[in-house]
Amino acid sequence: MKLFSQILSYTLPFLYLAVIYFYYLIFLGKDKRLISKTTPMLIILLILHAIEIISRHVAIKAIPLSTTHDAFSFLAFSILFVYMILELSLKNKGSGLFILSFAFIFELFSSFNVSWTLETNPLLQDPSFAIHASISIMGYTALGLSALYALMYILQNRNIKKRNLGKLFNQLPAISYLEKMSMRSVMIGIILLGIGILDGHFQASDVMGSFWLNDIKVIVIDAVWIIYVIGYFISRLMKWRGIYMAYFSIFGFLFLIIGGSLVIYLSESFHVFY
Amino acid sequence: MVKEMTGNHIPLGLIGISHNTASVEIRDRVALNEEEQKKAIKIISEKFGVEGCMIVSTCNRTEVYISCEDPKNEIPKIRIWLDEFKETTYFNNDQLIYEMYGTDAVKHYFQVISGMDSLIVGETQISGQVKEGYELAHNLELTDSLLNKLFNFAMQVKKRVRNETYLCDGTVSISFAGVELARKIFNSLKDKEILVIGAGKTAELAAYHFMENDMKKIHVVNRTLKKAQDLAGSYNGQAYGLDELPVILKKVDVVISATSSEEYVVTAELMHNIAKERHHQPIFLIDLALPRDMDPEIQEIDGVFLYNLDDLNEIVEMNLKKREIELPKSHKIVDEFVMEFQKWNANNSMASIAGRLKKQLDTLRMNEIDRLKNHFPEDGLNEINLLTESIINKVVRQHIKSLKKNASDPERFQQHVDLIYNLYELEKD
Repeated sequence: MKLFSQILSYTLPFLYLAVIYFYYLIFLGKDKRLISKTTPMLIILLILHAIEIISRHVAIKAIPLSTTHDAFSFLAFSILFVYMILELSLKNKGSGLFILSFAFIFELFSSFNVSWTLETNPLLQDPSFAIHASISIMGYTALGLSALYALMYILQNRNIKKRNLGKLFNQLPAISYLEKMSMRSVMIGIILLGIGILDGHFQASDVMGSFWLNDIKVIVIDAVWIIYVIGYFISRLMKWRGIYMAYFSIFGFLFLIIGGSLVIYLSESFHVFY
Repeated sequence: MVKEMTGNHIPLGLIGISHNTASVEIRDRVALNEEEQKKAIKIISEKFGVEGCMIVSTCNRTEVYISCEDPKNEIPKIRIWLDEFKETTYFNNDQLIYEMYGTDAVKHYFQVISGMDSLIVGETQISGQVKEGYELAHNLELTDSLLNKLFNFAMQVKKRVRNETYLCDGTVSISFAGVELARKIFNSLKDKEILVIGAGKTAELAAYHFMENDMKKIHVVNRTLKKAQDLAGSYNGQAYGLDELPVILKKVDVVISATSSEEYVVTAELMHNIAKERHHQPIFLIDLALPRDMDPEIQEIDGVFLYNLDDLNEIVEMNLKKREIELPKSHKIVDEFVMEFQKWNANNSMASIAGRLKKQLDTLRMNEIDRLKNHFPEDGLNEINLLTESIINKVVRQHIKSLKKNASDPERFQQHVDLIYNLYELEKD
């Protein structure tokens, strides 16, 4: 099972690339017939990724969410899953190239970090860890998607302003739609990440006896979340224009990802606290 | 009627006048309205030796399709009659008219229905008009199996061209280009309001296209209030004088301006203030006036999207070029279906030949049995019947098998058909 899971882990980035290439062809408008074939491809990729997660769960006999590999893999999986729902419900495939490329980065990152050493931190033995981890990752996914929608908003806004009405303009959705999706994703991300963070604090309190761990990782994530909340409410209150909201969403997520990645690499594990 | 005995394999003929050959005046003159089409189909079917007839008549083309044993023989007669019917001389002017037969006519019909032969390549209205032409003839029971199948194939061609190519994508009219752009800004126009500045013909036409796309409300601003009221009244909208422009600009999403003013009606300064008050919520401005009604500097304001007549023209040109690029792909689909249609026609012919051949051989068999039945014992007659019938079936099957081998080569197929007809002295009708 371990070998099977490992092979699948290394294969998945290539499969992601194959699907992205497919969306690239659609983006270029090479062959209209391809448009009707994306859904089965997404479903197959999603199933294969799910098999990888399950096989890893069977192999390590634990919830596959504790390591860097698992976290990024689950993040890619959840981006793929959310995108599939969006594509099916909105019938728009123009953003596929962007969103799947984004998922691919996380999947690639995950494949380079396969680890079979389980963490022994007591926090991870707590059954509510799975809730904390999965909700937090879903929160990151929503914030990531928000940043992507914001990026697409900026591109499409620029296309219409500068009259660049080529392939990119044709494939991207309407700016109002992109703005709305970005805002909704931020809101969902804030709520989910908030629940995840709060759950993490409660776990820490139960297992380690302290609600506020004086740790750089916790401080960074909590701070970013608070910035997101404040930014979101100010934007609503001040009726920020779309372009400002887009930059807020992009930089917020970059800060979260860069901060999170630095923290992971500077410390032994995300779940070792000092 | 023996369709497989005609010279061009598929017994179909067409006579037409279109934008490719004639001016709009001539096209108008030869166009047939619904009543004329009914009358023409009935007369052509009764008067000439045709089995099926249908007409495609639009502002850009009038085409008569006939299915009969020898369309090359009938078409010249129909041309003379059409001129008498429409009291013109155009149908007998070789410079204006085109005739096509067999696979060429099939190919042309497929190209027409999929918009490949249209004045604006890829326009979709034509498929509905072709359908109407077919249904009109079909309801009169004046289409035969060949025309029915032709239409059936044509609908499939249209569907594949639309699904598999970008031939019909992208707008090619200036008004629609505006609507399409508005959709790329607002997604849906249902809850959006439009302001029309000016109440002339251009403004009216542009307003019509937007209101056709379910916009929530129309506001009309004009120097002469009465004209504004007239235009707004057609869509249950509201009319205002020009002095109220700044107030209305704050609450609308799309603005179309088409006045004859020599100065800017919407200045950059005014729009700066409006955008600020709107918190830079998107607003789409379309300047259809010459000279311009809107200061080009407005384009720099965040949340404001300004397009003028030249910009919209460029979009239309670009889309037309894109459609041209898609033509080879569409031709490939048409060619595929022409081949399929040839196969169907060959199979259809084979079934007819098999029936005739079996009937002829059966007659010979029964004659021989009748002649010799006294020489056979009575209880053996049944076996002889079964045996001879089985031999005939095998002979027929062998011929069909051989015909099928030649189905993809119309010339060889025809030679083979002729051979069977001559050899067995089959009746042609």
